[in-house]
Amino acid sequence: MTQLMPKDLREMYRLMLMSRIYTDRALQLFDEGRLPTGLHPSAGQEAIGVGACYGLRREDWVIPSLRTTECFWTRGVTMQQMMDAMYGNKDSVNRGKESFHHSGYPSLGILAGTAIVAAHIPVAVGAAKAMQLKGTDNVMLCFFGDGAAARGDFHEGLNLAAVHKAPVVFICENNLHFQTAPASVEMAITDIADRAAGYGFPGVIVDGQDVLAVHETTQEAIKRARQGKGPTLIEAKTYRFRRHYPILAETRPVEEIAEWSKRDPVTILGDYLLANGHMNVSEKQELETSIIIELDSVVARAEAKQAADKSAANSTVYAEGAS
Amino acid sequence: MKTLTYGEAIREALFEEMASDDRVLVFGEDVAGYGGLDGVTQGLQKKFGTERVFDTPISESGFAGMAVGAALMGMRPVAEMQFSGLLTVPLDQIVNSAAKARYVHDGAMSCPLVIRSVTYPAGNAYMGQSLEAWVAHVPGLKVVTPSTPIDAKGLLLTSIRDPDPVVFFEHKSLYSNEGLVPEETYSIPIGEASLARTGSDVTIVAWLNMVPAALDAAKELALEGIDLEVIDLRTLIPLDEEAITRSVSKTGRLVIAQEAVTRAGFGAEVIAVVANSDVVHHLKAPVERVGNPGVPIPHSDRLNNHIIPSKDDLIAGVRAVLSS
Ligand SMILES: Cc1ncc(C[n+]2csc(CCOP(=O)(O)OP(=O)(O)O)c2C)c(N)n1
Repeated sequence: MTQLMPKDLREMYRLMLMSRIYTDRALQLFDEGRLPTGLHPSAGQEAIGVGACYGLRREDWVIPSLRTTECFWTRGVTMQQMMDAMYGNKDSVNRGKESFHHSGYPSLGILAGTAIVAAHIPVAVGAAKAMQLKGTDNVMLCFFGDGAAARGDFHEGLNLAAVHKAPVVFICENNLHFQTAPASVEMAITDIADRAAGYGFPGVIVDGQDVLAVHETTQEAIKRARQGKGPTLIEAKTYRFRRHYPILAETRPVEEIAEWSKRDPVTILGDYLLANGHMNVSEKQELETSIIIELDSVVARAEAKQAADKSAANSTVYAEGAS
Repeated sequence: MKTLTYGEAIREALFEEMASDDRVLVFGEDVAGYGGLDGVTQGLQKKFGTERVFDTPISESGFAGMAVGAALMGMRPVAEMQFSGLLTVPLDQIVNSAAKARYVHDGAMSCPLVIRSVTYPAGNAYMGQSLEAWVAHVPGLKVVTPSTPIDAKGLLLTSIRDPDPVVFFEHKSLYSNEGLVPEETYSIPIGEASLARTGSDVTIVAWLNMVPAALDAAKELALEGIDLEVIDLRTLIPLDEEAITRSVSKTGRLVIAQEAVTRAGFGAEVIAVVANSDVVHHLKAPVERVGNPGVPIPHSDRLNNHIIPSKDDLIAGVRAVLSS
């Protein structure tokens, strides 16, 4: 495993902080009626996508969950690309055909999941199988929530991955709730990682608020996958800091929210950088300011651009030129 | 009579039927603790308890299967699919386990369940699908599609009491629409269309939210002296064929208004009813189908209005049948 250098840690911090600032701005734009899309805010869960995707090879692939915005940043999607996608602009990734969190960026190794929770899990297994068949040692990272782990596609997908020793890493972001209900509604166990044993591969629990722990655990699993030893299920214990979706009411106990907000992944890494002299207070402040300034112009540009039109809406249902 | 919204009317039906029949169960995602994403099942768990009203995991195939098993054992489950696009997930349980249960037992077993399915053609290519034609194709299923509060309540009561499995489509954009509903208990039979508007020039056959769209179009065209008749099918299966043929024999012009993709959609069945009857000779113009042109629903609201059929598309459809 490649050792993380201070510049890597600073980059991880930048990605996480940018994600937080971006997400909260998007929520604000939504509330103001300016954003023509909703979002599943990732705030509180930034360490998972960043920690897992950091250091992947270009040729590796990921499928984000509906909430893993950090997969996009870490794989190289810019705030402008993301904002243009949210506004459905003419020059955006899919011209408004799908929400940003179900958008694919093939050139960046990001495969789009569908809005059907967990449907992407067997898809990830098939993609991993293809990588294996092509004789590469590339891997597939597949992200999903705890809610997805109740679906048949989760169980079928994990079993198939085991049977095929597919080079896939399953990363469950267990934020203890799915939409409006607590995890007790969806399972009679505490740890989703336990399920891996039933399929015959390792299941590992990691602190989802600690980006370095997530990174290290994922790197282990990736190594296993590259060596042809098959899948791993990583369960990252985490918490979302915002409501499921802007128009839904909060349903979680206030004490629980307060308790978890003490474990803010962005703050945890920021404090670590300061304490170890990898960054000083004014550098930290400068970084934050520069993100905000960039985001201001990103929003202004996105709002000034032309939206995709009817011809876009009607295009690409089938291959162009095919009979 | 009292005024209720479409959503409230559905909730009232659930309250009444749960109170009068303790075999009725309500379950699905977010229905119990939260009271449904649109508040339709609010208060049910408090009133009827956690045994009869409960939240499920994200397991549509699983809980649809549970509904089948419970129905076979004599319960009256009402399971919710919070988006109609999700019907793809439990489809096997609905199309096979539920729909075939009576037939394969040669009538010795019944599967009296209701799948409430919430249609809303926005949001995304997956959840936004209008899939009523998929289930209408399956022998053994009934398909109900109310457009008004009075029909929603009356038809849900009938659906829960029906001895066969019913897929009951609701429409998110109708939930806040108000209408008059009788104070006393009543029900509406499955299989009868209603005449939403009487007219003489063109027949519009519609269901769900396309009924209000058709009525709006009628209001606008009335200003030009064009008189539309609007048939609200209310139930797709069984289909009230007579209501269709009666109207078309009068007007001689037919427009289908559906939100779903037109190709192989339910409108084609309506046209077949006309084509297979003597009424075909009364047609003065080719039939128009207004609906989704065959494109997945784009996510952005700035894009999907090009795809989702509107009142204006309906008006264009009416003009087309009048011009030939
Ligand atoms: C199969 C399916 N059922 C229901 C939904 C509606 N829905 C969207 S997000 C969501 C909750 C997802 O929970 P989880 O997988 O835990 O991810 P989280 O939102 O907590 O990140 C639900 C039920 C869906 N998208 N797909």
